[in-house]
Amino acid sequence: MKGTAVTVFEILRFLIIHWKCDIEVSKGVLLEGQLVISIEGLNSKHQANALHCVTTIASAGSLFGGTVLKKFLKEIQSILPGISAKLTWTSEESSYSQDMTGVTPFQMIFEVDEKPRTLMTDCLVIKHVLRKIIMVHPKIRFNFTVKVNGILSTEFFGRPKFDTIESYCSRIHPVLGHPVMLFIPDDVAGMDLLGELILTPAVALCPSPKVFSNQLNSISSVSIFLYGPLGLPLILSTWEQPMTTFFKDTSSLIDWKKYHLCMVPNLDLNLDRDLLLPDVSYQVESREGDQSQNMDLQGQTLLLFLFVDFHSAFPVQQMEIWGVYALLTTHLNAILVESHSVVQDSIQFIVDQVLEQHHQAAKAQQKLQASLSVAVNSIMSILTGSTRSSFRKMCLQTLQAGDTQEFGTKLHKLFCEITQHQFLHHCSCEVKQQLILEKKDSAQSTEDTPDNSSLELLTDTSGQAENKRLKRGSPSVEDMRTLYSARAPSLSEAALGGRAPTAAPLTPSGREACETHSRALTPGRASLGNHLEDALWLQEVSNLSEWLSPSPGP
Amino acid sequence: MAFAPMGPEASFFEVLDRHRESLLAALRRGGGEPPSGGSHLASSSEVLASIENVIQDIITSLARNEAPAFMIENRSSWENIKFEDSVGLQMVSHCTTRKIKSDSPKSVQKFALILKILSMIYKLVQSNTYATKRDIYYTDSQLFGNQTVVDNIINDISCMLKVSRRSLHILSTSKGLIAGNLRYIEEDGTKVNCTCGATAVAVPSNIQGIWNLVTDAKFVLIVEKDATFQRLLDDNFCNKMSPCIMITGKGVPDLNTRLLVKKLWDTFHIPVFTLVDADPHGIEIMCIYKYGSMSMSFEAHHLTVPAIRWLGLLPSDLKRLNVPKDSLIPLTKRDQMKLDSILRRPYVTCQPFWRKEMEIMADSKMKAEIQALTFLSSDYLSRVYLPNKLKFGGWI
Repeated sequence: MKGTAVTVFEILRFLIIHWKCDIEVSKGVLLEGQLVISIEGLNSKHQANALHCVTTIASAGSLFGGTVLKKFLKEIQSILPGISAKLTWTSEESSYSQDMTGVTPFQMIFEVDEKPRTLMTDCLVIKHVLRKIIMVHPKIRFNFTVKVNGILSTEFFGRPKFDTIESYCSRIHPVLGHPVMLFIPDDVAGMDLLGELILTPAVALCPSPKVFSNQLNSISSVSIFLYGPLGLPLILSTWEQPMTTFFKDTSSLIDWKKYHLCMVPNLDLNLDRDLLLPDVSYQVESREGDQSQNMDLQGQTLLLFLFVDFHSAFPVQQMEIWGVYALLTTHLNAILVESHSVVQDSIQFIVDQVLEQHHQAAKAQQKLQASLSVAVNSIMSILTGSTRSSFRKMCLQTLQAGDTQEFGTKLHKLFCEITQHQFLHHCSCEVKQQLILEKKDSAQSTEDTPDNSSLELLTDTSGQAENKRLKRGSPSVEDMRTLYSARAPSLSEAALGGRAPTAAPLTPSGREACETHSRALTPGRASLGNHLEDALWLQEVSNLSEWLSPSPGP
Repeated sequence: MAFAPMGPEASFFEVLDRHRESLLAALRRGGGEPPSGGSHLASSSEVLASIENVIQDIITSLARNEAPAFMIENRSSWENIKFEDSVGLQMVSHCTTRKIKSDSPKSVQKFALILKILSMIYKLVQSNTYATKRDIYYTDSQLFGNQTVVDNIINDISCMLKVSRRSLHILSTSKGLIAGNLRYIEEDGTKVNCTCGATAVAVPSNIQGIWNLVTDAKFVLIVEKDATFQRLLDDNFCNKMSPCIMITGKGVPDLNTRLLVKKLWDTFHIPVFTLVDADPHGIEIMCIYKYGSMSMSFEAHHLTVPAIRWLGLLPSDLKRLNVPKDSLIPLTKRDQMKLDSILRRPYVTCQPFWRKEMEIMADSKMKAEIQALTFLSSDYLSRVYLPNKLKFGGWI
């Protein structure tokens, strides 16, 4: 019998696939809506030491038309035969009308008996899955409620409203790699796909190098996230042991030696931590005999997102996508092993780009710090050497310093603040914000749009559930096309312009960085940026196959 | 007379004397020396106060949470330079400026270096010590990168604070030589006599500090090249043409050589002539002495001697003296570009004879070094060419 977590995920996956395929969501629009997942557990009357869990998945608003509801229910029941519990469907048919261009809310309920510990683990897995979903689908919001024997907890997964503008962009700016076709081993039994599996990698550093003004740390860990078609998380069949054979070899994707890094698998992926967990994690280990390579505990995390999509010359059917998921869930390891060479080449290329940018940023930062140091020391030299008391007094008073030492400290701090503000200001997200502002000036728009269309990595500042979202940059369509039109694109441009969403702060410092960024856009700007961002995001991830070249081989 | 007469008889210098009279008359008509604009010789306290004002502005900006910046005049931009016959090239009163910002990745390093050099100048002035630009560079060569960076920043500071480089207690390294009927006392009390011998005297590094200059010279001859200068020394030119003064900057003149020429003119008002190769480079060097350079236009009043006359080698002399073609050199493309550039400069319009000579050069597409005159005889320059030029007023 399938557990609660697996069932919830499979329902959500099917729901989103169905939603995407059947509703004819236009290419420029992301899926948008709110889903409520509630689990109520009461002591089971049939099993000892077990809870009878009733799980409800409902839409807070409307998702799709009533005519497909019954078809959906029939299909999902055929897809999920393992759900032996009751799967019921209720819909507000009274509000259903064929003339409605809108859609009808729905609700699905299933019941299972589970041990309390199993339910607890399932809840953690569900939260993990929800976080991964909203990273790629920023407009879907989840309300997750668990009530066990009367004790209630609620968590919200979604994009909060913002009303302040961050002075600089602390987004993570992934770089998209060249998509490659995956090879399916002959001995992998399964469906006959009328299409190809395409893997597109995306790489980013977290926290963004732009956020850390005073230091640019070396890489200390790597986090890998796996996504299947339509940007849904890949939960491998061996999810309890996520490290497949392929990923156990840390050099299977990236040659770390060229960066003088030694990576070891990090098996400490504890679901109990209220963070977005990667599917695969590596951490840096000092190389033997290399005393200069100290493990940087405060280092940055290299985020690697692997998006596997299905590309076909024919219209893709829902069942095909479902089948692809089944294939990937079970045989991803074998597929990656078979496609190792092309996958590694594609990933290596963009990792090189990202790390080179990181290196350049580090150099620029060092140069800046050196210059500031020279400036401060020079001013201090003049101040301390001056025999004119009025001059010295005036300087100290201006900075409200009690003595020259305090003056020096304040001077350095002011210089750092002012320069960092400008140095961090230069990113394409700011350029995009400026473009949006300019558009706003020339077009009328309302100020009351509550959401913005950008994805963000957030943490709950109040200590409640963390809502992690993907920060998305602002690539231009041209940038994206440029990125994919050449085998070796100008990835410096792509890095600035090309964006794929995803970033997960895995360290406390990263969380802080993402917190500050959570208020990046004003509501007023968002409405104008929505369509632009949706179109771009769709290009980036949601419909990977649509903008890939027909034969994106190595 | 201060010196034993060794040169030609007094009648030899009649034309020269009349030329000097005309120069003095022009000075009187012009109301004396032009007012000193641009940078001036500031006192130490003035310089220190100026630097402190700069620091105060920076701190005030920071306190207002504004990124401090330096406003630097574009010294080397033609739009900021005007020509005045009495002065030469000088900066206009309202120049365009550029901003050296502290919050720009491109300029933060320069911002810091300007502050660094300001602090060094502050210390030099406070301690009443001096350093050359080279010394400044070597205090932290890694930080500065190269000498040119230091040179430009020092000039920018001089321009920004409106004080001469000397007032900043930064010296330029002298490379010039001087010989002839001149003696003076240096700041430290050293007595210097430049009377011609086999060797010349190095141009001092502290021109402002020399005093008690004494000379009977009838003229000052600026020689472009050291080779020509040495040749004239070897030919005992200073004594043959005594009383006179010879000076060379060994090519493009350094600041001290220019300051000395200016000081000699300001002090004695004796005719100053140039002896340069008949090529665009030589003409440009001559223009630097006479009208100043673009980069130092902010200090034009201290450096230029508009009264300078071109004695030789004139392009027209080449034809007049039938200098053989194998002694001539074709103009290179770079020569032609430089010649075109000089012809377009504002000061050439008031020098029709210079323009004509340059046009002769442009038409013939040939140039010649002074050494080309050796085809006539090895000492033709000192024995015939120059004496005739000086006696009969062969200058323009």
